[in-house]
Amino acid sequence: MATEQLVVAPLLVALVTAILTLVVHRYVRAQKAVSALGGVAYVGAVAMLIQRVRSGAGSHGVEGVLTYQLSNWGAPFGITLVADDLSAFMLGLTAVVSLLALAFSILYVDEAGQRVSYHPLYHFMLVGVTGSFLTADIFNLFVWFEVMLMSSYVLVVFYSGPRHTKAALQYVVLNLVGSAFMLLAIGGLYSTTGTLNMADMARRLADPASFGITLAPVLGLSAVLFVVFALKAGIVPFQWWVPAAYRAAPAPVSAMLAGVVKKVGIYAIIRLYFTVFANAAPMDLALPGVVGESTLAFFGPVLFIMGAASIILGGVAAVNRDNVDDLLAYSSIGQVGFIVIALAFAAGGVVAGWQAPEPYGSVAVLGLAAALVYSLNHALAKAALFLASGAVYESVGSIEFEDLGGIAGRMPLLSAGFFVAALSLVGIPPLVGFFGKFLVFDAAVNAGSNLGIGLALLGAILTIAYVTRAWNRGFWGERSEAVEQATPQYGLFATVLVLAVVALGVGVAFDPVVEAAIDAANAALETGDYIEAVGLEDSLTSDGGGH
Amino acid sequence: MSYGDDTTVIARTVARITLPLVLVVAISLLFQGHNLPGGGFIAGVLTAAAFALVYIVFGMEYVQETIFGDEYEPDGSVAGPAVVDRYRTLFGVGLAVAAGTGLGAMAFGKPFLTHTDEVVKPSTEYVAWIPGADFIFGTLFKFHWATAFLFDIGVYFVVVGGLLAILAVVGGE
Amino acid sequence: MTEFVLALVLGLLFALGTFLVLRRDVVRVVWGVSIISQAANVYLVTMGLLDGSVPVLEGHGEGAGAVTDPLVQALVLTAIVIGFGTTAFALVLTYRVYEEHGTIDLLELGGETDGN
Repeated sequence: MATEQLVVAPLLVALVTAILTLVVHRYVRAQKAVSALGGVAYVGAVAMLIQRVRSGAGSHGVEGVLTYQLSNWGAPFGITLVADDLSAFMLGLTAVVSLLALAFSILYVDEAGQRVSYHPLYHFMLVGVTGSFLTADIFNLFVWFEVMLMSSYVLVVFYSGPRHTKAALQYVVLNLVGSAFMLLAIGGLYSTTGTLNMADMARRLADPASFGITLAPVLGLSAVLFVVFALKAGIVPFQWWVPAAYRAAPAPVSAMLAGVVKKVGIYAIIRLYFTVFANAAPMDLALPGVVGESTLAFFGPVLFIMGAASIILGGVAAVNRDNVDDLLAYSSIGQVGFIVIALAFAAGGVVAGWQAPEPYGSVAVLGLAAALVYSLNHALAKAALFLASGAVYESVGSIEFEDLGGIAGRMPLLSAGFFVAALSLVGIPPLVGFFGKFLVFDAAVNAGSNLGIGLALLGAILTIAYVTRAWNRGFWGERSEAVEQATPQYGLFATVLVLAVVALGVGVAFDPVVEAAIDAANAALETGDYIEAVGLEDSLTSDGGGH
Repeated sequence: MSYGDDTTVIARTVARITLPLVLVVAISLLFQGHNLPGGGFIAGVLTAAAFALVYIVFGMEYVQETIFGDEYEPDGSVAGPAVVDRYRTLFGVGLAVAAGTGLGAMAFGKPFLTHTDEVVKPSTEYVAWIPGADFIFGTLFKFHWATAFLFDIGVYFVVVGGLLAILAVVGGE
Repeated sequence: MTEFVLALVLGLLFALGTFLVLRRDVVRVVWGVSIISQAANVYLVTMGLLDGSVPVLEGHGEGAGAVTDPLVQALVLTAIVIGFGTTAFALVLTYRVYEEHGTIDLLELGGETDGN
């Protein structure tokens, strides 16, 4: 029993912390202490859960997949939480970024702002993210999305100046419409498949005849759902809210939005499209340019086009921005593009069954592992860069390139952190970014996609271009007047440095990370295990649809 | 001075009559919510509606000064009027109660949010000679307790605290 | 017949919501968003299938014939509560926009923000 409770532990730690910070909101110091302790406890809970999942503990005899029935209602009627390698990987990434962004916020967000509601909101956002990563119920996913978004609305809106109110409004309205669409798609999926449990849905889709399901609407409904996830992940053509919202939000919140909240969209795409919808029994897709009979045959090209557009648009737009936040925001569109084309290769791998050398075995696993490692890289590096931007703003008072220059000489610690994170974004060994880029290229090569290789190369060149420009304009060159009069905030610099060191450490000790990513990719593709662990009868093992 | 000078006598009289009714209905909804239509959310909304009526008819000063005994300063500061702070605490306490009932289940080794209920009837063994004992002890004193009710109370506090905070902040400006 | 009427109503609601979202006035936009989310709720209710028994009625549903699916209603209740919160927030945000900029016209607001 004790091990099963561990599944819900990260969620509860974040929830209890959020509530406690709310209860003690009159005592600012106590609130900060509770918040910081909660952040540390969250990392601890996630670490224990990861350790448990990695050590092969499992439910219903399936190794490495822990399930948990909330309220003790059995699947598929009750809400199921599932912690497998994929969830564990995403939670690990969340834990690292959230703790450092929290430490940064305590030093960065002004007293009045912290007193009102910053800490409860921050932890509620963490609750939403954690719930999204753990849940195996599609409506519950909607609820966690809402928890996460509702907190992020307030964090974006109320800690931005009047200048950004319109951006915040745009962010809110867009996501509200997105939520309505998500509800529509979920309602449609429920009426089509008769279930909300992801494992049950995968099982029913694989064997539609015996459950009396017509598959035709599933493709359309999953496409509607895909739009919502693409919106959350900020992929072209749903990227336009990204720069305005990131500019409006305070630095640690931007770090969380770019580092973690975007990854929730990516995770949802992996979980739903690779674990659930991929197994829809062969359906006749009479669409132009679509080869194959799985839903992924449709989403593969879609992912590729959207990823390609994101890489180009994000990269090109990032090159000539005139302040640090804008540059980072557009860069994050481009970087998510890398993740998305890796997913496209994986989708192609699932449909065509392409082989890849060991330890991956197939392009499907390689592509997913690439997407996951790249997500980790982007979470660490981009969070560090956004925090660095916040530290520059706090020290110098501006993040416009025209006011900056020569920070490297004035604040070497901060510059070192920025430099390492930027190199990781570019992909220089031995940083984690190198392995992320390498895996994406590897997936492209094994998928035999010359276009993909070219795109990734173009994206890499654009990354070098805008990162170099940010470094040259901001950190090298003559010291500007503002930089000369800056008051360095060493506490803030420390958090940036720690994140940069983590990016370096993950790169140096890369073996366990890539193993975890490969296991996570396998977990995403092993639908049979997923269904069995939830405690449902598996109809997939006979036809081999679950690999 | 008296409150609500700028509203009509009809509004004030109607408010006085309906207010207790609304609150009683709210509480009855709260109490039956664990297994009948009703529940913490709807009871909380009704209670907040009752308070909204008081705000409209008698003004926010009335609630703040006569119920909570706070000074009223309509300065529109960041945190809103002083009473908002109380609502925010109520909101937090409600959340703590609701989450606490979920955590309580874990202390018994059950999954988070597991609830239980039981129907308790006093024994009629020694009082069977009383005429109508079955009715009195079997039906009248039958008590159905459910831990879901505690959760509902938490929800009720959350909704009341949250809604009143919104009303007070927006109305206070 | 019921399906036809509901489909028509849903179509109208979505059309109205979309029309309002595209207006310049922020309050209308908020109305539009909340109408769209209500339309999604109506859609969810119409998804309630009339296909006999459901697990929650086990042991309680004697004598009941075909029952509508209670799950969609639970979903809609959840969605309504969430929609309630977001609408309240959007209205407060609108008020703040008005306070800070003295206008709720999106085109006039557009001139004041940088970039986009």
